[in-house]
Amino acid sequence: MLGEFEYLLITVAAALEDRAYGAAIREEIESATGRKCSIGALYTTIDRLETKGLVKTWMGEATPQRGGRAKRMVRVTPKGVQAAKAFYDTVIGVSRGASWATNRTRTTV
Amino acid sequence: MTSWTGWSVIEAASQLLPPHDREAVLGDLAETDESLRKMLAQLFGLAARRHLALWTNWQPWLAAFGLALPTSFLLMGASVSISSTVQQTLSHPSPAHHAFRTFISAGLLLVSWSWTAGFVVSFLSRSTLWISGISCLIPCLFCLSRFHMESLPSLSLFVFLLPALLGVWQGIRAMPVSLGFAVILASAVTTLVIFTSTREFWLCDAALTWPAWYLVAVALWKVTKEEKRLIA
Repeated sequence: MLGEFEYLLITVAAALEDRAYGAAIREEIESATGRKCSIGALYTTIDRLETKGLVKTWMGEATPQRGGRAKRMVRVTPKGVQAAKAFYDTVIGVSRGASWATNRTRTTV
Repeated sequence: MTSWTGWSVIEAASQLLPPHDREAVLGDLAETDESLRKMLAQLFGLAARRHLALWTNWQPWLAAFGLALPTSFLLMGASVSISSTVQQTLSHPSPAHHAFRTFISAGLLLVSWSWTAGFVVSFLSRSTLWISGISCLIPCLFCLSRFHMESLPSLSLFVFLLPALLGVWQGIRAMPVSLGFAVILASAVTTLVIFTSTREFWLCDAALTWPAWYLVAVALWKVTKEEKRLIA
C-alpha cells in the first residue's frame, strides 16, 4: 500500500502528464496541500517509487530558465496507476462513515 | 534572484550530491525564487537523506566499524612489531639469512594485511569512505597520544598506512580482482600466519586475514554469476 506522500506524488505526476518533472511536481504538491515540499522528500520518494516500479524517470530537455540544466522527467507506470487506484479506493471505503465525508452512507441521529 | 556568488556557493554545495541528482536539482533550484539560505537547506537536506539511505545497507557498517576501526588497532600493533624486529636485527646482528627471512615474512604479511584491508574497505562502500577514514583516524590518534617507546619513533605506528592507502586507492578505482589472484593472496597470507603467528597473537592475526578471504568469496561469486549468465 502506498504512503500518503507517495500517493500525492503519483497523482500529481499523472495529472501533469508530459510536463511531470521535479520542480513542476513540487509546485503542484505545494499548491494542492498548502504545505512546503522539500526537494529531499521529493527526490527520495521518486527514487523509492521507481525502485518499486511505480514510476519511470529519465533525463529530459534542458531549458534556459533552468540555466541549461536537464529536467528529471517522471511518468507513472501502469503498476503505479493500479497502486494509486487501490489507495484511493481504500481511503474512500474507509471514509464512508466519517462525519467529514461529503457522501456519507450512514448518518447519526 | 540569486547572485553569481550565491550560485557558486550552491554549485559547490551540490558536489555533496551524486552526479545523477546534481543536474536535475540545480535546474529545479534555478526555477525557484527561494533565498540562498533556503536553497542551501534544500541541498543539504537531500544530501543528508541520500547519505542516511546508504546506511540502510550492511556494507557501510562492516567497512567502517567491522573493518576500518578494529583493523587500525591491529595493524598499528603489527607495524610496531615489524619496526621493533628491524631495529633489533640492526642493533644485534644475527645470521644474515635469519634476519632476512624474519623481515621478509613479517613485511610481506603487514603489506598484504594492510593492502587487503584498505582495498576491501573502499570496495565495500566507496560512498561512505570518509566515515571509514574517520574510523581509522580515531584509533591512530588514540595510539599516537599513548605511544611511549624511547627506542622507536612514534611514526613506526603508521608503517601500515602506505599499503593500506594504496589498497583504498585501487578499491576506489574498482580494480578488478581475478579469482586466481585472490586465492593466491589469501593462501599466501594464511600460510604466513600459520608459520609466523605466535600463540598469544593468533586470534589477532586470524582477524586480519578475513579481508583476503572476503576477496576470494567476491571473486568466486562474480565467476559463478558470469557462468550463469553465459548459460542463460
